[in-house]
Amino acid sequence: MKRNLSLLARGGCFLLLLAALLLGVSHLFMPKNNHKSFGVSDGELLANGILGERENSIDVLVVGDSEAYSSISPMQMWSERGFASYLCSTPAQPLYDSYRFLRQAFERQSPKVVILETNAIFRSYKLNDYLLSRAKNLFSVLRYHDRWKALSVNDFGRQLDYTFTDDLKGFRYNPAVAAASTANYMKPTDRKAAIPALNETCLQDMLTLCRENDAQLLLVSTPSTINWNTARHNRIAAFAEENDLVYIDMNTMPKEVPIDWARDTRDRGDHLNYAGAVKVSSFLGQYLQTTYELPDRRDAAHYNSWNDALSRYRNIVKG
Amino acid sequence: MTSYCSLLYLAVFLPAVVLVHRILPQRLRWAALLAASYAFFWSVSGKLLVFLLVSTVSIHYFGLWLASEQQCRDHHLAAAAPSDRKAIRHRFTRRLRGILLLAVASQVGILLTLKYAAFFSSNLNRLLLAMDLPLHVPVPSFLLPIGISFYTLQAVSYLTDVYRGTVRADRNLARLALFLGFFPQIMEGPICRYSQTADALWAGHPITWQSLTFGMQRILYGMIKKIVIADRLNSLIKTVFNDYQTFGGGIIALAMVCYTCQLYMDFSGTMDVVLGSAEIFGVRMPENFRQPFFSRSISEFWQRWHITLGTWFKDYVFYPLSMSGPLKKLTGAARRRLGVHYGPLVSGSIALAVVWFFNGLWHGAGWHYLFFGFYHFALILMGSLAEPLVQRLTAFLHIDRTRLPYRIFQTVRTVLLVCVGELFFRANGLRAGLAMFRAMVTDFSLEPFMNGSFLSLGMDKYDFCITLVAVALVLAVGILRERGVSLRETVARRPIAVRWSVYYTAVLFLIIFGAYGVGYVPVDPIYAAF
Amino acid sequence: MDYATCRDLIDSHYLDSLTILALVAELEENFDITIPTVEIIPANFNSAEDMWAMITHLQEEG
Repeated sequence: MKRNLSLLARGGCFLLLLAALLLGVSHLFMPKNNHKSFGVSDGELLANGILGERENSIDVLVVGDSEAYSSISPMQMWSERGFASYLCSTPAQPLYDSYRFLRQAFERQSPKVVILETNAIFRSYKLNDYLLSRAKNLFSVLRYHDRWKALSVNDFGRQLDYTFTDDLKGFRYNPAVAAASTANYMKPTDRKAAIPALNETCLQDMLTLCRENDAQLLLVSTPSTINWNTARHNRIAAFAEENDLVYIDMNTMPKEVPIDWARDTRDRGDHLNYAGAVKVSSFLGQYLQTTYELPDRRDAAHYNSWNDALSRYRNIVKG
Repeated sequence: MTSYCSLLYLAVFLPAVVLVHRILPQRLRWAALLAASYAFFWSVSGKLLVFLLVSTVSIHYFGLWLASEQQCRDHHLAAAAPSDRKAIRHRFTRRLRGILLLAVASQVGILLTLKYAAFFSSNLNRLLLAMDLPLHVPVPSFLLPIGISFYTLQAVSYLTDVYRGTVRADRNLARLALFLGFFPQIMEGPICRYSQTADALWAGHPITWQSLTFGMQRILYGMIKKIVIADRLNSLIKTVFNDYQTFGGGIIALAMVCYTCQLYMDFSGTMDVVLGSAEIFGVRMPENFRQPFFSRSISEFWQRWHITLGTWFKDYVFYPLSMSGPLKKLTGAARRRLGVHYGPLVSGSIALAVVWFFNGLWHGAGWHYLFFGFYHFALILMGSLAEPLVQRLTAFLHIDRTRLPYRIFQTVRTVLLVCVGELFFRANGLRAGLAMFRAMVTDFSLEPFMNGSFLSLGMDKYDFCITLVAVALVLAVGILRERGVSLRETVARRPIAVRWSVYYTAVLFLIIFGAYGVGYVPVDPIYAAF
Repeated sequence: MDYATCRDLIDSHYLDSLTILALVAELEENFDITIPTVEIIPANFNSAEDMWAMITHLQEEG
């Protein structure tokens, strides 16, 4: 028995030391800046642009998959309403990544509103990937291990210093047009689509996180004929009611968000194009400002950079 | 759970089984292993678990049937007069043979139907079409339960061993189930014999500190092979093999060597994880690899590579066939005409051809696998045919065959021949394999290595460097093993600071230099598909 | 390589399966025995002594 205990203690020591070692190496491998050249992956570059924003400067944070960055334009809402929003959305974002971006943002920002684009809620993934993501959150060396190729002397002992910001604040501009069929779009049904079990836990974690940071969680379904349907709407509506959340489904609001499916989508109804995004952002900006009484910061001196970004944004979307 | 190298298996499943195994009293531990095995099978193949259950129950039944007939025979023999014994023995041998045949046919039949029906029927259709016959057989497609190619061979070996009397038929269905379905071995082998693992699996030996740590160390070593080397080579191999027409001979040769390396690292690495997992529970499985790339002939290579498959074919196909009545007669006749060396080769080569036909086919339903089998058959046969000639030639030239230079020549030659075989093995079909081989021989140049264009195939210079370092490491471990040094025990004897440094270095090496995460696609466990 | 004293002919892979086949034919003829498949196991062929033991036991049974 005594021998067993001592062995157990030894095993524990081994693991503790290993964890300490991994934390140290994680710090070493962490990109020291959020520029691409510092080892941030392509998919997450724009979403990580929020790290370069001034502390406590973001009013509205958006997480979600490509639906979010195709249809919500922070710069348009800035120019029309004057509040600062940012999209931490990545292609095919699994909900555990939504949670991770949220947690990362809360470290330096205190947004009043957090928007979750609901498409990610129905994305299922393997248990193994979920575990791996949890492990990566713990030891970031697992996420950034490929940086050994570009590791330099500077990485030792250097402090984090984020200097990259995105002029589009996470939005991705795409003017292409490919008309969608609306044959089966939002056909009535009483069915409720199922949320993958792992995502249920993820959602609860996100709710807790928002509550702890005094942010309101808002569920938004952006228009998509391919990804959205009534069964999914029913499920999210029920979830919102159970948890006392506000839910906006733009797929059911043709008056407020008048999407023309012949012109406002870039890939036959999967994602909106720029024209569609303008309609969504226009409605969303107005809704957010009136509902949450967000301030107009356009004349504030420390938002100069946003006004500079706006003029560059206008150049881009002029086409 | 699709791989033994996944986090889910290593960080959740295996520790959970270890914990339950540790808590349960010894007489119940088998239940933990069996439940874990079926849970594992279910997580990969779902309802196809039925196939494993059917096989288990049926070999249990057939084993007992064989045993009762044998008992009956012994009973009769004991009572009979010596003059009648031969007749009785003869009668029962026929009966027993019939039962064995039925049992084996039912096991192999399932495998044949699920795995090869599509191959045979589509080739039959092609033949019918070529003969202008207006016939068409439907091409079925089935979902394969995981590991069926492996556990079927285990089932056949058990039945044959019972028939031969080298193993007693097991009355215990659960023990048999565990022998057939034990989770570490189910996906990629090794192909165990009943006499090797069944008792240890059932005994429920306690997990000791040594079995736990040694098992984990072996798992770590296997993961380094698989994740640092095999997975890193994947993108280059995919690029070249999928698009072989665009590359010259130099690049194809590179891809060929890389693939041979990948196949070894993937399979033997997985075997290390598998044997390490079993070792934790005090179960010693037979080794599947013994430094195959140190072989001096193709025949030796197959005694060092996928050993359990080779010995299975030897014990259950090659010897029974070559020692059967007709072939034995043939050997006798051939010995009188061709002499003691070439005589036995006649029937030997017939049996060998059958072995390699099945060996090729076992790897998959495809002509290139059959070609792969035939290729190795031809090489082994040629080696044997040329042996007297080589002996005379080397004696004439005064070459000492035991000296190092000659042995190095033999090893390099063997490795090259193996690489060419693996080229056909990996190629997308036989035609692609032949085209790649032709390009490699007729269009070989070192140009891509001079101008650096080989670095644009999915691996940059850092990738090549780290792969070379890791391969050198595995090579060094291989040399130590050849010399009979057990690395784990050597390290275990060192002071704690040295020991832990070694382990930490290995873990960090795996984590930092492993090819996983964004931008990497891991190789599907190659042998799990067979 | 000394065949008379070597004790691990099979385990060290000095004999491959084709060689064993030739050996079995040789033994069967010279000692007038029949070697059944079950007897072809490493333990019976690892050394000259092992083979002799197998031969005598097969002759007795004969």
